[in-house]
Amino acid sequence: MARASGYLKTGYGQQLVLVETRMQWMLLALLAAALLALPLFASFFLLDLAGQIFLAVIGAVALMLLTGIAGQVSLGHAGLLAAGALVTGILTQEAGAPFWITLPAATIAGALLGLLFGLPSLRLKGLYLGISTLALHFIVVFLGQEYETIRGFSTGISVHPPRIFGCELYDPAAWYYVLLAFDVVVVLFALNLLRSRTGRAWRAVHERDVVAEALGVSVFRAKLSAFVISSALTALAGAVFSYYRGFVSVEAFSLFVTIQYVAMVIIGGLGSILGAILGAIFVTMFPYAIEAALETTGLAAALAGYVFAINYALFGLVMLAFLLFEPDGLAGIWRRLRDYFFLWPFRKTPLAGGE
Amino acid sequence: MSDLLLSVEQVEVVYHDVVTAVQGVNLTARAGQIVCLLGSNGAGKTTTLRAISGFIGLDHARVTGGRIVFAGEDIANAAPHICARAGIALVAERDKVFEQLSVRENLEIGMVAGKTGSQAAGGDRLDLKGIYRFFPELERLTGRQAGFLSGGERQMLAIGSALLTSPRLLLIDELSLGLAPVVVERLAAALTDIRDALGITILLVEQNANIALSIADYGFVMENGRIVLDGDAGRLLAHGDIQEFYLGQGAAAGERRSYRAVKQYARKRRWYG
Repeated sequence: MARASGYLKTGYGQQLVLVETRMQWMLLALLAAALLALPLFASFFLLDLAGQIFLAVIGAVALMLLTGIAGQVSLGHAGLLAAGALVTGILTQEAGAPFWITLPAATIAGALLGLLFGLPSLRLKGLYLGISTLALHFIVVFLGQEYETIRGFSTGISVHPPRIFGCELYDPAAWYYVLLAFDVVVVLFALNLLRSRTGRAWRAVHERDVVAEALGVSVFRAKLSAFVISSALTALAGAVFSYYRGFVSVEAFSLFVTIQYVAMVIIGGLGSILGAILGAIFVTMFPYAIEAALETTGLAAALAGYVFAINYALFGLVMLAFLLFEPDGLAGIWRRLRDYFFLWPFRKTPLAGGE
Repeated sequence: MSDLLLSVEQVEVVYHDVVTAVQGVNLTARAGQIVCLLGSNGAGKTTTLRAISGFIGLDHARVTGGRIVFAGEDIANAAPHICARAGIALVAERDKVFEQLSVRENLEIGMVAGKTGSQAAGGDRLDLKGIYRFFPELERLTGRQAGFLSGGERQMLAIGSALLTSPRLLLIDELSLGLAPVVVERLAAALTDIRDALGITILLVEQNANIALSIADYGFVMENGRIVLDGDAGRLLAHGDIQEFYLGQGAAAGERRSYRAVKQYARKRRWYG
């Protein structure tokens, strides 16, 4: 893939552009065309899978901003998704609110929760911070369960499909385009954030907060803004998820969901938006891939009772393998592949290690 | 002097498969010598040192050419602990002591590692007393947590721990970094004592050419990932280019102190002067 050389840049603006070369524009255009044309050929199942991936991308990008870029560990991700979904569910049920009220409301609720649960980050780091954000998860899930029991929605709160220009959003292909548009906006937002003052502050705080503070970056503001923006995006993803599924139930937001999102950013490669996207695709498709593999090998019938166990176990193994062998994740693999073709045939091979 | 202990032959180091930091470095150290490696920032001194001690792998760098022969074996791209067990000890530039442990515990960690390593050439195994003989200050501080030591004391402790691994080659990255001149002189004197008493070889990477060349037997100068000058320490100290561009004596001092600039300057002087 053709990349712009650092030596040929003549201005600060050229350092900042997101798409550098004509080749990259062409590849992006190809990707866009493929994504736009997909619903013309895809089955219902594929469209649903794509929808799940698009939803996961929003959440993964949000977590990547917080954990991969700003370096703040969070285990409250499922709680925030649940908060967004619950706000949507409650507002539709209690007030019959349309989506243009529920989505901003869910976003604001997420931002407020992020502000509240970002406060410990000012004193805590690493594992300690992770544990403190875990509280968020349990509080939200508990409140959601209480609401569901009191109001008698123990099987879940149903959410009507959103009405846009008088027609209900129901068709899978229509949903596909809506979610795709959401993703494009979120990814562009994240990429632009990263090249802004805030994004630079986050990365500085991640790497050396003391130096950042010495240079005048407000660590207080950087950490809290990371929590607020990430949480708002996550809650938004939760709200969209509730519309997509048509109902809300806190059961859907177990701790395993948090683990899945953490896995997405780690497997994708911490610190890169591309990594968040690749990780979301990988983790979402993983169970389906395992299922397909079992089908094709003819083991499906024999192992029918163990599919979930196999899924969980393999998921754990894959995550472990990434941590051990590819700490830079899928984004790292992509970077290495790109460099390989970029340098070919001039790449130097390391000597075999002498023992 | 006696036999060849370390020989770096045409070594080339590439970071991330992309950036060549060291290209074709040749360097030798004989047993019992103090050898210093000089050069400006970014010349590749530290990379060379870390290539010898096996630590470049941690920075996503690999040796892509040449040989690093230590005591007859090629150790290019070997893991750090393999190099350490073969008898190479590294005193790194930063993060060189365990800040949570006491001075004594820091030294004892070196002793644990030393049990698996080779013995120092000749003489008995070192113990804590042996270290305290070179650095009496450490005996006074023996119970103190290493995080509370001053820069000079940390450097002594780091050298002490490294010595307790019974190395045959001691690599020191930036002995004088951030230390007061009087402390640096004290450390330099201790290094000479250590060499004389234990007979080990010391490879010293330094910015301060004066202090390095005053204790070294032989010196190498790096620039842009290559060795550009080498010779006996006394000769180097008297060398015009070194005096002018590393010791800051002479007319062009304060202008540009890179060896490339040295050569350009010398050429201009020849042509126009």
